[in-house]
Amino acid sequence: MVQPTDLQDLIGIEHSKLGFFQELRQKVEELKESNKRSEEQRREIAAILDGITDVMMVLSENLRIISVNHVFRHLFDDPHPEGKFCYELFRHENHPCQECPAFRSLATNSVCRDTAIFKLKGRNRQFEMVASPLKNPEWPEHRVLIFKRDVTLEKEYQAKYYQVEKMATMGMLAAGVAHEVNNPMAAIRGFAEGLQRRLPRIEGVVESELAQDFREYTDIILKECHRCQKIIQTLLTFSRPVSAAFSPLALNKIVTDTLRLVDHHLRRRNGLKIHLLLADELPLIYGDESQLKQVILNLLVNALDAIQGEGAIQIKTSCVEEEEVCLCIEDTGCGIPPENLDKMFEPFFTTKPVGKGIGIGLASCYNIVQEHGGDISVTSEVCKGSRFTVCLPLNSNVRIS
Amino acid sequence: MSDHRVTKFAIPEIIFGQGSIGYLAQCSRRLGAKRALLVTDQGLIDSGWAEHVMDILREDGLDFLLFDKVNSNPRDYQVHEGADLYVRAKADVIIALGGGSPMDTAKGVGTIVGNGGRIADYEGANRIMRPLPPMIFIPTNAGSGSDISQFCIITDVERQVKMSIISRSLVPNVSIIDPHLLMTKGDQLVVSSAIDALAHAIESFVSPLASPFTENQALKAIELIAKNLQPALENRTPEVMEQLSIASTAAGMSFSNAGLGIGHALAHSLGGIFDTLHGLVHPIVLPAVMRYNLPACPEKMCAIGRIIQGVPESCSPSQGEEGIAQLEELFARLDVPHRMRDIVPDASKLEQICRMAVHDACMLTNPRKADWKDLLAICREAW
Repeated sequence: MVQPTDLQDLIGIEHSKLGFFQELRQKVEELKESNKRSEEQRREIAAILDGITDVMMVLSENLRIISVNHVFRHLFDDPHPEGKFCYELFRHENHPCQECPAFRSLATNSVCRDTAIFKLKGRNRQFEMVASPLKNPEWPEHRVLIFKRDVTLEKEYQAKYYQVEKMATMGMLAAGVAHEVNNPMAAIRGFAEGLQRRLPRIEGVVESELAQDFREYTDIILKECHRCQKIIQTLLTFSRPVSAAFSPLALNKIVTDTLRLVDHHLRRRNGLKIHLLLADELPLIYGDESQLKQVILNLLVNALDAIQGEGAIQIKTSCVEEEEVCLCIEDTGCGIPPENLDKMFEPFFTTKPVGKGIGIGLASCYNIVQEHGGDISVTSEVCKGSRFTVCLPLNSNVRIS
Repeated sequence: MSDHRVTKFAIPEIIFGQGSIGYLAQCSRRLGAKRALLVTDQGLIDSGWAEHVMDILREDGLDFLLFDKVNSNPRDYQVHEGADLYVRAKADVIIALGGGSPMDTAKGVGTIVGNGGRIADYEGANRIMRPLPPMIFIPTNAGSGSDISQFCIITDVERQVKMSIISRSLVPNVSIIDPHLLMTKGDQLVVSSAIDALAHAIESFVSPLASPFTENQALKAIELIAKNLQPALENRTPEVMEQLSIASTAAGMSFSNAGLGIGHALAHSLGGIFDTLHGLVHPIVLPAVMRYNLPACPEKMCAIGRIIQGVPESCSPSQGEEGIAQLEELFARLDVPHRMRDIVPDASKLEQICRMAVHDACMLTNPRKADWKDLLAICREAW
C-alpha cells in the first residue's frame, strides 16, 4: 500500500510546492501549436474560398450580410457590405424578395436553388442561387450560406445556340420545301406561259369570251406562281448561313417580306387590324437581312400572341434625325406587368404557357439588334398594349463581332 | 544538530497583524480569483467570522461559494464533497477560515481538484505530483499551524485512521493571520490550541530534523506560550492574543520543516479511533512524551525547561525534568482534562491505538526510537 516514509521524505529537498509554471508553459506551447494549426487551416480555407468564382455570402436569419468573398467585392463597389441587407444591394428594395431561397432553405433545413435576375451596374444579370442553411447551436441565430453564380453569358450563349439551331433547321426545311415546290412551280409556270404563247392561235378559233377567260386564268396562274416564288424566296432568306455578310437593305422591304410569311396567320384572325405606316423615303441601312427578318417576325408573333380576339397591330417605320432608322411595332394586347419589363430580353424568360415558347425570342432579338449597333426598347401598360421599338444606325461600321 | 544533514525551510507568504484580514479580497484577486471556494465550519459561522469574511468578499464584488460541511477531525468523504462542489461550481481560489479542520479539509479539496483520485491515494510523503489550486488560509485558533505547515491530516472513515499527507504543495500560498479573530475564542479553545502549538514547538525542537532556523522559531514559540497563556485566560487583550498568534505561527514554521514526534503520533491515532479532539490530547500526553524523550536529548530538554521556568542561567542536569514538572503544574491549573482516562472511554483499546500510532509519519522525527510497547507505557503513565 503506502511505502514507509523516511526522514529524507519529510525534508523533501527534491520536492517543492508545485506551481503551474510547467503546466502553463506546456499550455502556452500547446496553444501556440494549435494556433499555428488553426492559422494554417484558416489560410487553406481562405485559399479554397478565394478559388471559388461564385459570389458567396453568409447571411443572418433576416438576410443581413455577415461576410462575403472577394467575388462579391468585385461585383459591388461597396467597401463595407457587412451589416447591410442582401436585398438592399441586389434589388435596391427595403424588403426581402418573395420566393427567396434563403428563407426556404432555413425553413426546410435543406439546400435550395433558384435563379433570379438582378440589375447590377445598369446591366441585367442572371444568377443561379444556391442557399444552404448553416445551423450551429453555439450561434445566437441560424445563418444561411448563399452562392450566386453569374450565368448571364451562359444563358446568352445557350439562347443563341438554340436560336441558331432553330433557324438552321428551319432554313434546311425551307430550302427543302422551296426546292421541292420550285420544280412543280417551274413546270406550272412553264406550261402556263406555253398556254399564253398558244393563245393567239386559238383566239380566232374559239369564242372571244372563252379566249378572254383563258387569258385571264393563265394570267392569274402566272401571278400566283410569281407570288409563290416570292414566298419561297423569302423563306430561303431564312436558310442563309447565320454569319451572312452585311449588305445594304431597305427596311420597308424587309417588313413587307416578313409580313408575307405571317400573312395567313393574320388572315385567320377575325377582328384583327394591321396598320402599316411605312415611311416614304427611308435611307438604306446596313445589316443582315435574314437576322433582321427574324427580329421583325419575333416581334410580330409576340404582338399576335398578346392580342386575344379583337385588336390592332400598328407597324411603323421612320427615320430619326438622319442618324437612325426606327421600326415601331405596337399592339393593343394584354400588356406587360412592370416587374417583367426588366426581364423581357433575358434568355429563357417567358410568360407564355409551357409549349408555347422557351423564352429566347426576345433575347435573340436583343442580341441581333446589339450586333447591328442598334437598340431595342419596350414600353407597355397592362391591358392597354405594348410598343417595341427597334432603332438601327445608318453608319453601320459598328458591328460587334 | 549532531549530524550535518542538509535541511530545508519552507513557509508560505505570511500576512500578519491586527486587521490583516482586510487584505483577503485583494490577495484572492492577486492569485486569480473570480469565484472562490470558502471552506469553514459551523463554529466560525456561529461566531459571525464567516459572515465577516463573506462581507469582505462581497464588498469587493468577488463571487464565492460556501462549503461548511466540516467537523473536527475532517473525514475523507467531506474532502470529496468539497472537491465536487469546487469542480461543479467552477471555483478557482480556495479560502479556508478556521482551525485545523477547515484548513486540512481545504488542503484535501485542493489535492483532489489538482490531482484527482481518492484522498487516501496521497497518504504519506510527497505523493502529490500535480499543482494544487491557489490557497489562502485564515487561521482562527492560533494552534494547529496548518496554515503554515506541509501537513494535512484527514480521517479515513473506513480504516478508522487519521492519515498524514505530507507535501510541500500543501503549504498554502498565503496565510493571513489576524490576531483580532482570536478575541472571541472560548477558554477551552484558547488552552487546547495554545497547548497544541506548544506541543508543536517542543516536539519539533527535539526532532532530529531540527535546524537553526526551526529551533529559533520553536524556542520563541515556547517562550511566548509560557508567558502569555495564563494572562490570556485572565484577560483577553489584543496584545496577549497577538503574542499567542505569533507563537502558533512560529511553532508552525518549526514543525512544518522539522516534523513532530510520538505525542502527535498518539494524538492522530486517538483521533482516528475515538474521534478525540486533537487539542485535548496534548496536555495529557506531552509531559509523559517529554519524559520518554529526555534521555535522547538532555540539552534540548534543558533549554526548554529554562524557558518554561524563565531562568536565564546555564543548564543544570535536572533542568529538563524540572521544566516538565512545571509544565504539568501549569496544565493542572488549567481547566482541561489532564488524565487520559478523562478523554478515552475504553482502556482496552489502548494497545490498538499504540499499534496504529507506530505507523504515523510523526514517529520518524522523534528523538528516541519507540515501538508500540513504549507508546503503551506512555499511555499508561498518562492514564
